[in-house]
Amino acid sequence: MNIRRYFGEHVFPPLIGIGLFIIVWMILAQSSEALPGPLKTWNSAVALFSDPFYNHGPNDQGIGWNILNSLGRVGVGFGLAALVGIPLGFIIGRIEFIDKMSSPIISMLRPVSPLAWLPIGLLVFKAANPAAIWVIFISSIWPMIINTAMGVRQLPTDYLNVAKVLNLSEWKIFTRILFPATLPYMLTGIRLAIGTAWLVIVAAEMLTGGVGIGFWVWDEWNNLNVEHIIIAIFIVGIVGLLLEMMLVRLAKRFSY
Amino acid sequence: MEDSKNIAGEKLAPELNSRREFMKQTGAILGAAGIMSMVPMGTKAAAWAGGSDAPELKEVKVGFIPLTDCASLVIASVMKFDEKYGIKIMLSKEASWAGVRDKLTNGELHAAHVLYGLVYGVHLGIGGQKQDMSVLMTLNNNGQAITLSNQLKDKGVTNGAALKKLVDSEKRDYTFAQTFPTGTHAMWLYYWLASYGINPLADVKTITVPPPQMVANMRIGNMDGFCVGEPWNNRAIYDKIGFTATTTQDIWKDHPEKVLGCTGAFAHKYPNTARALIMAVLEASKYIDEMGNRRKVAEIIADKSYVNCPLEVIDQRLEGKYEDGLGRKWNDPNYMKFYNDGAVNFPYLSDGMWFLTQHKRWGLLKEDPDYLAVAKKINQIELYKQAASQVKVPVPREVMRSSKLMDGTVWDGRDPKKYAAGFKVRA
Repeated sequence: MNIRRYFGEHVFPPLIGIGLFIIVWMILAQSSEALPGPLKTWNSAVALFSDPFYNHGPNDQGIGWNILNSLGRVGVGFGLAALVGIPLGFIIGRIEFIDKMSSPIISMLRPVSPLAWLPIGLLVFKAANPAAIWVIFISSIWPMIINTAMGVRQLPTDYLNVAKVLNLSEWKIFTRILFPATLPYMLTGIRLAIGTAWLVIVAAEMLTGGVGIGFWVWDEWNNLNVEHIIIAIFIVGIVGLLLEMMLVRLAKRFSY
Repeated sequence: MEDSKNIAGEKLAPELNSRREFMKQTGAILGAAGIMSMVPMGTKAAAWAGGSDAPELKEVKVGFIPLTDCASLVIASVMKFDEKYGIKIMLSKEASWAGVRDKLTNGELHAAHVLYGLVYGVHLGIGGQKQDMSVLMTLNNNGQAITLSNQLKDKGVTNGAALKKLVDSEKRDYTFAQTFPTGTHAMWLYYWLASYGINPLADVKTITVPPPQMVANMRIGNMDGFCVGEPWNNRAIYDKIGFTATTTQDIWKDHPEKVLGCTGAFAHKYPNTARALIMAVLEASKYIDEMGNRRKVAEIIADKSYVNCPLEVIDQRLEGKYEDGLGRKWNDPNYMKFYNDGAVNFPYLSDGMWFLTQHKRWGLLKEDPDYLAVAKKINQIELYKQAASQVKVPVPREVMRSSKLMDGTVWDGRDPKKYAAGFKVRA
C-alpha cells in the first residue's frame, strides 16, 4: 500500500513529465531538418561518455575534463565570493550605517549582467582564466551578501535583549545567536549563488576559451554539431541540479 | 683558433647562410664539430652557433582560430618541424578574434594566427587598446570568399552588379557580416561592395559576428551575405543556405591574409625564438604547398583539436577544387597558398600599408598615419630575412610589390595618402 502510494506520488508524475518532454522533442525533431531527435542524441551521448577522460592535448580533451575544469573555476570564484560576501553580509546586517552606505551601490551593481564584468576582468587581471573566475565571483557574491544581511536583520530583538541581560560577549553573541539564526538565510543565499555561478560559467567560457564545458559548447557550435550542443544543455542542467541538491542536503543538516 | 673565436663572437650576421656553409666546411677541423655530429640532425640546426642563437623560450604559446588557413601552424606542430629548430609550439584554440587580440596583448599568447588588419589596428589603437605589434611573416594568400544567401539567389542576385540593382530597387535593411572591424574580411567585403557602387557603411548594415552566427543567421533569413575564411563558405553551400558570390582571390589575386602576429615587445625580447618560429612555419608552409600533401594536411587539420569540421568541407577548396553553389565548378589556380616559393610569406611593407589605406578610407583612422613608418615598425623584415636564409627560402629583392585589384586600381605602396583618398565610394 505504502509502496504503491510512494510510486503514485513520487515516481509516476516525473516519469510522465519526462516522457511527454521526449515526445514533444521527437515531434519537433521530425518537423525540423537541423534538430536531431532523442535517439540520435542518445547515441552520440553514449559515444561521448564512453571515453570521458581522454586527453589529446590542450585543444581536445574528454567531456569529463571539461566538466571538471568548469567546476574548478566555479569552485574558486564561488569560494572567494563566499569568503568576502558572507562576512560582508553580517556587517551590513548588523550595522545600520554601513547598510545605508552600501545599499545604493549594491542595488545598482546587482542587476548588471555578469558578462558585462568580463572585459573589466580582462583589463585588470590581464589573463583569461582569472577573468572568468572574476565573473563568477561578482555574479555570485550578491545573493550571499543580501541574504546573509537579511537573516541578520530578521533576528528577533528579544534574542539580543536576552544576550544583553546575560552580558554575553560579542563573540558569544555571534556564535550562539547570530550565526545559528542566520544560517538558513545564508544557505539560501549560497544556493542562489551557486545556481548563478554555474549558469554564468558556460557563458564566460564561451568568450574566454580554454578547457571547460562552455568553450566545448562553443567549439561544437563552430562545428555546427547540434547533438553535442543538446547533450551539453543536459550536462549543464544535470550538474546544476546536483549542485543544488547537495546544498539542500547540507541545509537540512544544519537547520536547527 | 682564430676561426672558432670568430664564430662565437659573431652574433647576428646578416648573411647567416654563408656562415652555416662555413661551419660545414671547417667543421672537420674544429673541436666543436665532434660534439655536433653526435647531436641528432634536428637540434643541430638550432644550436649551430654555439648557444648564442638558441631560442630563448623552449615552449611558444601560439593561438589560432579554427579556419583552414591555420594549417601551417598546425602542421609545424604536428609534423614536429618546431622541434627541429629547438622550440615546441603549444597551440591554443581561441574563441574569437577579439579573444586572440586580448591574449596577445596581455601576454597569454606569445604569437598567433591573426588577421593582417587586426595587428595594424591594435598598433594604432583602433579595434583594441593601443600596443606596439609585430608581423613576423605572412601565413597565407587567398582562400577567403564572400557568400550570399539563397534568398538573394531566388531574387536573381548571383553577382555584385545584380546585388547593387536589388539594393537600389528594393528598399529594406540588408545585413552583411565580417569577422573583425579592422580585419581582412571586413576590408574584402567593403572593397567588393564598394566596387559595385554599394557603400558598405551607408547603404547596407555591416556587423561583426563569429562565423557560426553568420551561418545560423543566414539559415533563418537574417543575413544577406558575409565574408569569412574557409571552410565557412564551402560550409554554406554544403548546408544549402548560400552560394559563393566571389572568392577573395578574384578581388585581389594573391592578397595577404593571415599573418603570424605577436607584440612588438615579444619580437624585441625573443628574437631567436621568433626566428625559430618563422623557420618552423616556413618549413610547414613548404610542405603544405606540395599538392600531393594537401589531402593529408586536410585530414590533419579537420581533427577535433584543430578546425573540428567534416573532412569533405575542407579538402575540396584546399586542393583548389571550387564549386560556387550555383552550378559552376572550376579548378582555381589562385587557391589558398601557404608558400609559393616564399612569395606568400615575405612580409611586404606594401601589404601592411594597404590595410592602413583601407582603414583610412572607411574612417577607422581619422588622419593619415605615416604609412611607411608604421609598416616598417610592424613588419619584421630583418628577422624574416635571417630566418628565411637559414632554411633556404628565397627572399624578394623589393620590400614593396605591385598588385592590381578587381576594379583595376594598382597598389604598389607608392603614395599611400593619394591612394587612400582616391576611392569614389568611401566613408
